[in-house]
Amino acid sequence: MVLLLGVNFSEQRLVKRALETFYGIGPSVSTRIMARFSIHPTAKIRDLENKHITDLTAELTGMRIENDLRRQLRENITRLRDMGSYRGRRHAMGLPVRGQRTRTQIQTARKLNRIERRG
Amino acid sequence: MPPSRCLLRLSQPPSSLLAAPIAPHTSTSIRHAAPFSASASQCMPAPAKKKGVTFGGPPARGTKALRIKKTVRQSTARPPAPGERKALRKRIVLSNTNALEVAGLRDATLDSLVDEAMVGKVVGLPGQVVDSLRAVEAFKVHQGWGLFRRPACLVRKETVEIGRVVAEAGEEKKTRRLVLCGERNSGKSVLLLQGLAGAFMRGWVVVNFPEAKDLTIGHTAYSPIPNTTPTQYAQRTYTANLLSQISKANNSILSTLQITQSHDLPMPLQRNLTLDRLCELGARDPDISWPIFQALWKELTAPGRPPIFMALDGLAHVMRLSAYLAPDMKPIHAHDLALVNHFVEYLSGRRELSNGGVVMAAVSESNQPRTPALEHALAAAETRQADAARGTEIAQGAEGETSKPRRRQPESFLEHQLRSLKHWNPYVKGDERVIKALDGVEVLRLKGLSREEARESWNTTPPVGC
Repeated sequence: MVLLLGVNFSEQRLVKRALETFYGIGPSVSTRIMARFSIHPTAKIRDLENKHITDLTAELTGMRIENDLRRQLRENITRLRDMGSYRGRRHAMGLPVRGQRTRTQIQTARKLNRIERRG
Repeated sequence: MPPSRCLLRLSQPPSSLLAAPIAPHTSTSIRHAAPFSASASQCMPAPAKKKGVTFGGPPARGTKALRIKKTVRQSTARPPAPGERKALRKRIVLSNTNALEVAGLRDATLDSLVDEAMVGKVVGLPGQVVDSLRAVEAFKVHQGWGLFRRPACLVRKETVEIGRVVAEAGEEKKTRRLVLCGERNSGKSVLLLQGLAGAFMRGWVVVNFPEAKDLTIGHTAYSPIPNTTPTQYAQRTYTANLLSQISKANNSILSTLQITQSHDLPMPLQRNLTLDRLCELGARDPDISWPIFQALWKELTAPGRPPIFMALDGLAHVMRLSAYLAPDMKPIHAHDLALVNHFVEYLSGRRELSNGGVVMAAVSESNQPRTPALEHALAAAETRQADAARGTEIAQGAEGETSKPRRRQPESFLEHQLRSLKHWNPYVKGDERVIKALDGVEVLRLKGLSREEARESWNTTPPVGC
């Protein structure tokens, strides 16, 4: 087991997939991080050297991911709500924000759009 | 539908109505015994229809019409261990005890590989050479070696040509550069294997890259080498594996050679260390494998060492961008990978093997990425060779018959095709590094077996059960 940013990953897990478990890191960001530290695309956690692990942890610590990113998202919505904009109100009401019709098919908006959005 | 259901109900009276007229004929004892009887009672209501099974119509949605398999088998076998399936897939079988022994099959010798009289004959590979070839992974899974009792191969016209190239390069201490191409299944990889076998028999040092694809598809670790421009990348795991192969395959030669040069390595070396031990050191520790490979090469190219045979199969994979990414997210050109660069330096003629040797590459047609620059470079080289050959013929003819002017021979269709490819299409983006890397190489195009060769190979090696 290897610790990356306080999370334990098993040895046989792909580094790319392990990075993508963090909120805010998707395929393109994980590819960029791996290219930066010269980690090959099919590398597994067990293939990483100590230097790689230190570098990755330092890189991830400096990035806005996980709770920082979630907090930023919530702050953005709160800002819209506080200034009383249409988008802020729509967020508060749990309705679509970008001009979609509301007769049907607004499940996603109902689920996600709120002031204290999950992420 | 409603009408048919109504009709169905009329044709089949309800079970309560059917049971009523039968009841007077049955005795009371039977009626009482009925619940304890194992046999079906006539007074019992008709069995309920199975859900979904209807006769004369398609099955209801979600039900199976035909049930062939009645029981679902539970597998009790353990799942394959990690790497087990790959090992099975990559397994090389080189003998078959069920195959008949070929009477009079002789082993290949140094002479038989350069003798034109042997063309069309099948020769066996000597045991020691087979071990070395296996160590450098020269045998491929799909080549069907497991059909025969022992590894043997047909001596072709091209085998003799290659044998002579190897012999000349060794005698004259020159570097010969060759690329094998030709149609799929025309025997390029086997010819490469024969070249390797010849080199092993001559006591040369052999370095083989069995599959170029493994170098460039991004499946092994890579790291930038400091102080190199343009930045080169070392593949430490692959290099360690390569060193292990070199050590195993060339053990008989390398164990007799000791280090004579000074090397800048992260660890001190023994004074009388043999080269096979040096390889093993690199194979054991991937972190120092690349410096050790460089040290080994420095030793092998020192004066008085044996010639070197370098081979690579699947050339197209190293003539394009690799799957590795540089820190700035740009794909790394295959020629910037240190091992590939090492091979390409010799293939292009930028570096020479000081003790002589052969650098040979084969193009694979069954697993080949599209590389227009490689196609162009090979076509240009072939046209150049054809022109040179025609020029020699005309010159010879002019010498023989000075009085009679000789007409230029017409081009064959292939030559015409090649000539048209000779000029680069300006609207296609070309890879200059590839064209430069193949500048001046000899191209040997294989065109299948001749009639005599095919007949002899069929007569000599009966497969299993013949």
